[in-house]
Amino acid sequence: MNNRLKILRAERGWSQQDLAERLEVSRQSVNAIETGRYDPSLPLAFRIADVFGMTIEDIFLRGE
Amino acid sequence: MFGRKSVKNPAYRRYALRMLPVSLLYVGAIMLASRLVPDHAEANPMTIGIALLPGLAVLGWIWTMARLLIELDDEYLRMLEVRKFLVATGVTLAICSVWGLLEIYTDVPKLPVFLVFPLWAMGLFVGMLVNRITQGTAGACA
Repeated sequence: MNNRLKILRAERGWSQQDLAERLEVSRQSVNAIETGRYDPSLPLAFRIADVFGMTIEDIFLRGE
Repeated sequence: MFGRKSVKNPAYRRYALRMLPVSLLYVGAIMLASRLVPDHAEANPMTIGIALLPGLAVLGWIWTMARLLIELDDEYLRMLEVRKFLVATGVTLAICSVWGLLEIYTDVPKLPVFLVFPLWAMGLFVGMLVNRITQGTAGACA
């Protein structure tokens, strides 16, 4: 699943660690999601959407 | 604002704090059993009881690893640990099953059941390598 996490994070000037702390997950988790190696669960996807003030569909895109 | 720094998940710290005393118990129980029970001693309630003491530590290891999976609240890190456990289980099943067939059909030495857990632990190391290769990170615990 593709996502716009890296772009959205960069727009806000956040490091992976900054985002990880906002989400209360590890930096490895953020890195794995950003690079498409891991698709988050629905609850974590909602938390990500809340942190960015967007909907899940605005962040995660259909496709491999 | 951010109450929980996730650089090192607290579940890993609790895992290490539990593993240490259980491992010391294992070493102590092995030394005690080796001292008190001669090799190939007759099985009676006393020798069986002493020989089972290290088994309590092994149960402690298993409980500690189960608690890690339960308490690890970071789903990605938990997935890495589960993958290691699965690889370790696969390695152990493969070695024991194949060796068991060799034992049936050939005169290779018997694989002591005692070695199953150490084999599984070595399988965790293989799991770390698999995580490193496929995920770019090994996960925190061996």
